[in-house]
Amino acid sequence: MLFFDLLVQGLLQGGIYALIAIGLTLVYGLLRILHVAHAGLYTLGGYIAILITNATGSFTLGITVSMVSVGFMGMVIYRLIYQPILEKPPFVALIASIGLFIAMEEIYRIVFGAYGITFADAPLQGTLNIAGIYLRHCEIGALLLAALLITSLSLFTRYSRIGIAWRATVTDPGMSQSFGVDVIKVRYLNFFIGSAMAAGAGSMVAVMNNLVEPTMGSVPSYKALAIIVLGGLGNVRGTVIAALIIGVAEAFGTIYLGNILDRDSIAFALLILVLMVKPTGLFSKG
Amino acid sequence: MLHLEKVSCGYGNLTVVENLSLQISKGEIFALIGANGAGKSSTIMSIAGHVKVKSGKIRFKGDDITNLPITKRVRLGIAIAPEGRRLFTDMTVNENLSMGCYSLPKNRLSLNRDKVLKLFPRLDERIEQQAATLSGGEQQMLAIARALMAEPELLIIDELSLGLMPKVIDLCYRAISTLKEQGVTILLVEQNTTRALEVADRICVLESGRDVWQGTAKGAGNDPDLIKAYLGLDQE
Repeated sequence: MLFFDLLVQGLLQGGIYALIAIGLTLVYGLLRILHVAHAGLYTLGGYIAILITNATGSFTLGITVSMVSVGFMGMVIYRLIYQPILEKPPFVALIASIGLFIAMEEIYRIVFGAYGITFADAPLQGTLNIAGIYLRHCEIGALLLAALLITSLSLFTRYSRIGIAWRATVTDPGMSQSFGVDVIKVRYLNFFIGSAMAAGAGSMVAVMNNLVEPTMGSVPSYKALAIIVLGGLGNVRGTVIAALIIGVAEAFGTIYLGNILDRDSIAFALLILVLMVKPTGLFSKG
Repeated sequence: MLHLEKVSCGYGNLTVVENLSLQISKGEIFALIGANGAGKSSTIMSIAGHVKVKSGKIRFKGDDITNLPITKRVRLGIAIAPEGRRLFTDMTVNENLSMGCYSLPKNRLSLNRDKVLKLFPRLDERIEQQAATLSGGEQQMLAIARALMAEPELLIIDELSLGLMPKVIDLCYRAISTLKEQGVTILLVEQNTTRALEVADRICVLESGRDVWQGTAKGAGNDPDLIKAYLGLDQE
């Protein structure tokens, strides 16, 4: 039973990681920028979800407003921070992104306080017994949300016209322009979708912990980097699988390797092991 | 249809093509010929909007398109099958074809796909295959087919025969002849001079970014000095 319990917990955590890391890998795939500030949007998603839920009493409204508004925030970040420096060497965007992430954390601290905020009445806290495994409603909700968003993204990029154009733009922006694709619009869409998914993850983590604090994005920021490298930079499917692998490895590692490795170092131990065997990541063609 | 007026183009401070003027009429096959580095690809990429025009004008169907964004050129009727094919390699043949049709209304997709698959039946057999897994010849067919999906009035093909087997080259040139019969204007860049002269109505020979000869393909074949100096053909 412990095995299945850990597996479910691992998949749950992996699903959350996947939602965060997908945005990061989407931005990298399209612009070759390591968008570290993405984790700041994840935190912002949590804050907005709590504020709206507390104001209206509806978590559904909270998470919806959170995803949409953070999606737009991602577009604003692209326009104001990245677009002006796209022609500069990649480290310029990386430095800008790290600076923005630090600034976001400090703004959250000033605006919402250093100790974070909580739900007035935390939603989805009931438990469900599924074949002997006890899961909170919010954990089931997080799993379902991750599955829904990842499946929707997959269907969107495979079957919709704009989704196919998006994939074409990731492969060759110049040629996709030659066939009439507006690359700027694709970039905005990319930032909207990636940021909205991170906000979804932030909202669910806010419910699971009943807390959002300014540095909530710190650990996911570097863990998401490990995940997208492990999955093959720019590869969405690889990112999802790598996120699930790391989630499960952490769940089991905490129990069986807890004396040797800290939970947060497991992702990097796994990353180092994989890169020693396959330097381009698990699912990169490079 | 296409008129280049003293066009100079290049990359950054480097000018690759200088003062090139040429005119392509509707329905003809026009070949740009020259050695590596002569400026052929830069010329066509400037027509497609990928290379900056430093001076001069490009007119298409009478409109000045010199500074027109790339995305709008395809809507005017210019499509390109570029050097190296530049397919969307992670996508299937079908998805690549649908990208070719992106600028047109949705309902043109299946109609245009049927047309190009008739021209290249081999692609029909590979329709759900990833573009990266196709052979070189199939990739070239797909690059041309993808450009044709845009219903171009001017089809630009760069290095049609490069790296292909003679049999596949024959197939591609047969398709070019069929397209000409259908009234498509074709601007062909080719290092294989013999093949280019066989299908082209007129040619322009480029050397170091300047045009050194323009005229009919037939005229080029009858000019021993041109053949000796630039075309590298065996004289019988």
